[in-house]
Amino acid sequence: MEAETGLRHRTWWTPYLFLAPGLVMVTMFSLWPFVNTVILSLTDAQILRGGGFVGFDNYARAFGDPDFWVATGNSVLYLVVVVPCLVFLPLALAVLVQREVPGIGFFRSAFYTPVIASAVVVGLIWQWVLRSDGLVNTVFRKLSIVSEPIPFLTDSTMLLVSAMIVTVWKGLGYYMVFYLAALGNVSASLHEAAALDGAGPVRRFFSITVPQVKPMMLLVGTLSAISALRVFTEIYILGGESGGPGGGARTLPFLIRQVGLGFAGETGYAAAISILLFLLTLVFSLLGRRLSKGDER
Amino acid sequence: MTRENATRMALTALVAGAFLATTTSACGLGGGAAEVEEGERTGKVSGRITFRTLQLKPVHTSYVQGVIDAFEQKYPDAEVVWEDVPGDGYNEKLVADAQAGALPDVVNLSTDSFQLLADRGMLADVAKLDPGAAGEYVPGAWEQFKLPGKGEGVFAYPWYVTPEILTYNKRLFEKSGLDPAKPPTTVEQFFDYAERIAAGSGGRYSAFMADPKGRLPGDWQKMGIPILNGKQDAFAFDTDKAVAWVERMKDLYDKGAMPKESLLKSDDVNQLYGGGKIAFGPGSPGFVRDIKQNAPQVYADTQVANAVTGTLGHIGIYAQSLGIRKDGKHLDAATEFAKWVTNGPNQVEFSKKATIYPSNATGLADAYFSDKGDGKDAETLARAVGAEQLKGADLDANTPVQWTNQVGDAVVREVQKAIKGEQDARTAVRKAQEEANKLLARTGQR
Repeated sequence: MEAETGLRHRTWWTPYLFLAPGLVMVTMFSLWPFVNTVILSLTDAQILRGGGFVGFDNYARAFGDPDFWVATGNSVLYLVVVVPCLVFLPLALAVLVQREVPGIGFFRSAFYTPVIASAVVVGLIWQWVLRSDGLVNTVFRKLSIVSEPIPFLTDSTMLLVSAMIVTVWKGLGYYMVFYLAALGNVSASLHEAAALDGAGPVRRFFSITVPQVKPMMLLVGTLSAISALRVFTEIYILGGESGGPGGGARTLPFLIRQVGLGFAGETGYAAAISILLFLLTLVFSLLGRRLSKGDER
Repeated sequence: MTRENATRMALTALVAGAFLATTTSACGLGGGAAEVEEGERTGKVSGRITFRTLQLKPVHTSYVQGVIDAFEQKYPDAEVVWEDVPGDGYNEKLVADAQAGALPDVVNLSTDSFQLLADRGMLADVAKLDPGAAGEYVPGAWEQFKLPGKGEGVFAYPWYVTPEILTYNKRLFEKSGLDPAKPPTTVEQFFDYAERIAAGSGGRYSAFMADPKGRLPGDWQKMGIPILNGKQDAFAFDTDKAVAWVERMKDLYDKGAMPKESLLKSDDVNQLYGGGKIAFGPGSPGFVRDIKQNAPQVYADTQVANAVTGTLGHIGIYAQSLGIRKDGKHLDAATEFAKWVTNGPNQVEFSKKATIYPSNATGLADAYFSDKGDGKDAETLARAVGAEQLKGADLDANTPVQWTNQVGDAVVREVQKAIKGEQDARTAVRKAQEEANKLLARTGQR
């Protein structure tokens, strides 16, 4: 009888014992920083200076801050442009390199190379490609396509576009691998049956391949949307620490860093912008989830 | 919404938020710290103290360790634990430690980090701890570690310093019809030279880096433009002279006197100067040594001269210091050690190993710093020119504590727009001052 009770007792707490180390880590390094950021966002704290409770003042300030709206606009624009590119272009690439032909491994590796290159190296390479006296402008001038260099890096809008190109270029290979895995699961018999019915490659792609990889497309869309809202490195490396001329190409993470960093950093305000960025990310993530559910139905 | 869905959504929100917040927290967010009490003094040089340096390992390991060993030999009851931190993220680590109340007992601080930590009451007043120290340092260097509004307090021992000098490519000077023997001496003249260089280059090279952040507020101070009002409680640089400076920068930028991308500081000045693409290099003696090693051809064309000044005759000085944690347990040992590291012989020895200058008066008087050689080698000349300038340098031109990183960014953003032609110079300076004063009011810098 005693032995039975002991066994039941162990059964009750044993799973929690196994979970405990993970829970402690998650609480310390993920949940607590989040809760702390929420609390901080309600104070006027600065680096090295304790802050007092100010309610939702920081949020009100953000809504009235033109810099916040510029950064939000840039982040959303980034998402709107980059996500469709990262959903469709890697799929096309995956279809191209899917078939086993001699030498295809080289192309697969080549497309994947930017993924493993550091963001800083990628940024520097593109800087030399896009600067006023860089590769693109030099070629364009030699071919008399332009008389004045295109301000890829010194105009805020062009800088944003240049950063998007770099993000897409770097993300192509990454998401291509996702699609290669999904394409491997598309039933070959469906393609064969459609081919027998006289469907050409384009028809087969849209009628068979796309519906089969749609869940993966939604996943890629969600992941790339989250990444797009967190873009910082590309802007920083291509556009310098002010975020383009006049700070016109700053994204929300860029603004958070600028506001919160340094000895005079306004941590309370930076925390409030972080929470707003979180809410924006959450909205797009839930949107992706809803789309995915609609598809399942 | 079902309970399961609500729970799932709440968990999703929490985890996603935690992830984002963790990443943003890593960017330096955090709470504040209150003013600290000064530690107790025992009058004994004993105890275990920590000493933090900025990126001195492995090149200067033997030098620093030698200084520590000699100190421990002289004071057997004291023990120094040396930690060296890489340059990247040094200030962020300092902030994190200051917030956590974990500053080292003796810590290497740059001008901006010294100002902010001292302003927050975290550094001991070394003038009070060690009343006889003042006479041992170059007056300008000692004065630099005072803070406006904090009386006669000095909040760090001056360590090594680097004065601004002028470096230029004499071949590009000659190509532009300029006499390399007559370099510019004022900011205004510097701009005139840049215009001549741009006119003669045909787009093949430029004069200098646009980067307003690198030039401000130094240029304005040299031109006699007030950065703050008399009470030091508001920015006051919105003047005709500042507007004229912005207009001149725009004009020169349009004329190609500066590489286009250098407006954003995304260019590497060493690469551009080393590649013969700009006529004026960065004004630091250490840079001359780098060019000697990395671009010997351009080094052969490199000439050095006194730094460009202005109406006030100021030059820029970049100083490193040793601050002492105010609430340290062994204040006497920390004070004695900081004084030991910054004494004349130790500073001279260090200066011979790196391109730096002693802040110590007896150290700077060493014959090594007045030797110009045959006057032809740029590195030797740079050392002599720098040391000469340092002896009488007026250090008022250093960036005031109120000109924080955020203020600098805000001013630069407006100036960049004007240089790009997106707004006129007067509007840019007015808006820059408004932004700067808003930040000043919010962050409460004195």
